[in-house]
Amino acid sequence: MNQTRPLKSWFAIQANRFAPLIFFVGLVILWELICTLGKVPNYVLPSPSAIITAFFNVEFSRWMGHLWATLRVALMGFILSILIALPLSIGMMRSELMNRILYPALIVIQSTPVVAVAPLIIVLLGTDDPSRVLITCLITFFPLVVSTTTGMLETPPEMIELSQSLRAPRYRETWQIRIPYAIPHIFSGLRVSITLAIIGAVVAEFVAAEEGLGYFIQFSTSFFKIPQAFSGLIFLSIISLLLFKSIQWIQMWLFPWSLPKKK
Amino acid sequence: MKKTMKKTLELSLLAGLIASSSAMAADTVTFQLDWLPGGDKAPIYSGIQQGFFEEVDIEVKIASGRGSTDALTKMATGQSDIGTSDIGALMAAKAQDDVPVTAVLPYFTQAPHAFFTVKGSGISSIKDLKGKKVATSPFTSSNAFLPLVLKQNGLTEDDIKLVKSDPGALSPMMITGNADAIIAWVTNTALFDAQTKEAGKELIEMPWSDSGLSLYSSTLLAADKFLEERPDVAKRFVKAYAKSIAFTYQYPDKAGADIHKMVPEVDAAIASAQLKSITGLVYNDVTEKDGVGKFSTDRIQQTWTYVAEANGLSADALDPTTAVTTDFLPE
Repeated sequence: MNQTRPLKSWFAIQANRFAPLIFFVGLVILWELICTLGKVPNYVLPSPSAIITAFFNVEFSRWMGHLWATLRVALMGFILSILIALPLSIGMMRSELMNRILYPALIVIQSTPVVAVAPLIIVLLGTDDPSRVLITCLITFFPLVVSTTTGMLETPPEMIELSQSLRAPRYRETWQIRIPYAIPHIFSGLRVSITLAIIGAVVAEFVAAEEGLGYFIQFSTSFFKIPQAFSGLIFLSIISLLLFKSIQWIQMWLFPWSLPKKK
Repeated sequence: MKKTMKKTLELSLLAGLIASSSAMAADTVTFQLDWLPGGDKAPIYSGIQQGFFEEVDIEVKIASGRGSTDALTKMATGQSDIGTSDIGALMAAKAQDDVPVTAVLPYFTQAPHAFFTVKGSGISSIKDLKGKKVATSPFTSSNAFLPLVLKQNGLTEDDIKLVKSDPGALSPMMITGNADAIIAWVTNTALFDAQTKEAGKELIEMPWSDSGLSLYSSTLLAADKFLEERPDVAKRFVKAYAKSIAFTYQYPDKAGADIHKMVPEVDAAIASAQLKSITGLVYNDVTEKDGVGKFSTDRIQQTWTYVAEANGLSADALDPTTAVTTDFLPE
């Protein structure tokens, strides 16, 4: 009775393995069919084939130029927000006073729509990289602060008590106990932040830029090249996805122990 | 070892010398566009490509803008020295808050605002818009002038159904019939025309300048700081820019190629088509009467009258002649 099972489960396993791909391909085919059969014009919803054609109509070197412009700002903003967020969360975790002073300020910054503030930042800091990096940093650093602080506070109290009973200095308590416990939290914060970094860079490019994928998309719509705008959009989301993945790879490479155990 | 070091030192000194001498040779000017690069922005690109600015020893850096007021702000805060933007926006800004920016050379001597519709929508003149759905973009300067142009045609704003939408969505809305007509600049005519043809329809353009709204529009403006601190550079710049405008409209195909060379995303053919379709904004009965590149006091006054009415400002809020200087016009 169990004879047929392996065959059946081979299909099941393969289908399961490629499920995301199958779903994605199916979606694209459906999209293409709707556009072709429904005779949807390109300026309303471009078909996947029109988007791919538009992608290859733009020179590769231009794509790289725009990609580099966006990626540079996104990564600089991301790194800056890590440099700000980590010390800030350590400080907030260690000092109750600092926590009380800074937390409301952080919430105010986070709840201010950066899109609305962006033009003001450009006026203050100019149209070059610094303003774009700041805009990106403003969008990205909050999730990092929250996740790092949460992680450090979730250290089992017994561990802290133990280290205190052994008279371990505070810096060792932070570096050797709290931060390692916070690593999974920090990395989930990083994953959220890296995708926000791309959004931040694009927001900045919408306000002032001469290059970058956000600028390219805005440019394409201003010339009513909708398929080209879509190709920029899809390129952008692929980059976002890759960055998200690379944070996971970094975590696997540097802190394999911090990953949830596979069943 | 020592020899190579000496050689390196010599070379780097030489390189430094070349770099500094070339930096000393040309004055750098940051040029502000009021929107993204496109056909109507071609003069600055042609000027650079044709060497008009090099002739007067000026090196130009171009910054794109996101609307008239954005361009004004960047000039007022000193991030850019000179650029093109709507003189109406300048006048309104000056009346409310004395922005340190002044107009130096006319570019569009007619307003570029227009209604667009497709054949078969039952609209053939502005008067036919009564009861129709008209789409516009939220931040265009055209919106301020809309009540005036409607009034000139015996309509009020209540007579039409005005909806606001992203600039990129306007033309598709018109073609799909989501809107009966749209408001946009005639600089878009070539693009709209291509799109409506693709959809098998025919475009109708109704410029507001035809129905009485006659005023200065896109103008070369400069930061007061730039004019005060580097008057000589400003003068040379304006001269080269005037030459660039003349070249652009005389050779639109070359100008299209020039802008494409510097901004590969701009299609050369579309840019030259845009230029050909807007020649009337630059050269028209106004320039025939007043001369090319000349401001007339009457028209400055008339422009301000419209701007004041459109923005709900009192007519004495500004002496419009203070928004303009003729000191930098080429002789």
